[in-house]
Amino acid sequence: MSTLPADRAPATGPDLPHPTVTCAFAVTDTPPRNEAVSVTPGHDGGGPLRVLAAGPLYLLVQDVPAAAFGEEALAERLNRPDELERCARAHHRGVETAASAGPVVPLPMATLYLDDHNAVRAVTARAASLRTLLDRLRNRTEWAVKVHGPGTGHASGAAGDGPADGRSYLRRVSERRRSEREERERALARAHAVDRELRRYAVAATRHRPQSEQLTGRSVPQLLNAAYLVDDRRRAEFVRAVGELARDAHRSAVEVTLSGPWIPYSFARSDEAERVAQQEAGA
Amino acid sequence: MTDLGTWPAGPQTEPAGPPSGSLADLLERVLDKGIVIAGDIKIDLLDIELLTIRLRLFIASVETAKKAGIDWWETDPALSSRAARDALSEENARLRARLEALEDADTSEVAR
Repeated sequence: MSTLPADRAPATGPDLPHPTVTCAFAVTDTPPRNEAVSVTPGHDGGGPLRVLAAGPLYLLVQDVPAAAFGEEALAERLNRPDELERCARAHHRGVETAASAGPVVPLPMATLYLDDHNAVRAVTARAASLRTLLDRLRNRTEWAVKVHGPGTGHASGAAGDGPADGRSYLRRVSERRRSEREERERALARAHAVDRELRRYAVAATRHRPQSEQLTGRSVPQLLNAAYLVDDRRRAEFVRAVGELARDAHRSAVEVTLSGPWIPYSFARSDEAERVAQQEAGA
Repeated sequence: MTDLGTWPAGPQTEPAGPPSGSLADLLERVLDKGIVIAGDIKIDLLDIELLTIRLRLFIASVETAKKAGIDWWETDPALSSRAARDALSEENARLRARLEALEDADTSEVAR
């Protein structure tokens, strides 16, 4: 992973020489403190972060240069991995700051409006579902749990032992394949069990696609890439459960890792709000 | 070897940022929400193009998982519905059928 000097990009002040558009980071019902907002560096080349009132809600925004966030410019920038990362990190900083006083609904990266007025209007129009989501996320955080499976060649039964005739060799090879397959199945079952167990502590859970070895930088396959929404008062319990599962899993050649607490990106979705509404209506 | 050592030692009050090594996790979360709402700036085309970036980043993970025989997440109802999912498993089934047909042809040729 590269380290980026862009993390320290200073805001350039309110008197920007070029036309700007309003970039929105997140919606909250508990506005962050001004001191926290003003020191957060947003996107490169933009103004300082600001809080806008939108009906009962608040919106964290930044003026960003229109030239850098136009159709072509953005497409070009976000096609470069380093720029994509810089942009994602800037977005995350904004979301984090918005979350410093209470729950947030993070908006998609580079949510752009022509001006503040339009941004406020858009949020106000969705206020009801946003408030439902905020209530659902209040005092809850997201935790990411991954299970990595056994690497290849772990299974016992080397093809090199025993008689050297062809028939025996083939038998040993198929034997080894079989035990590798069995080991993989055991590891998968283990990953399932981890997920099942952790759902008991969570108010919601979701699975992301397993990340590639390229993404994880590890040579073992990822069997589970899950996110859990956990009540903060059950946090210790959840973390302890993961710890126990990690120790157990060790014996079956899989590895369980935890990261968090995260801002609940994976659960701040409008389809989530709809699902909750349906459940409540059905109950 | 686990990440146990880096876990938060006690309860924290503020949601913290991701650990430094988890750019993939951050991107996954940030990009999972899609990129660019065309608020009132016309970015329709861009929207599509940007989603392909996201897919490009994660498509490799799908392949890796499949190679390892992992595809339960494809059919797992707990997963939020994704349009691409059905298309992928359909294609997968089609490819498997073709492969089987080819293998059968191969065997009968050897038998002759």
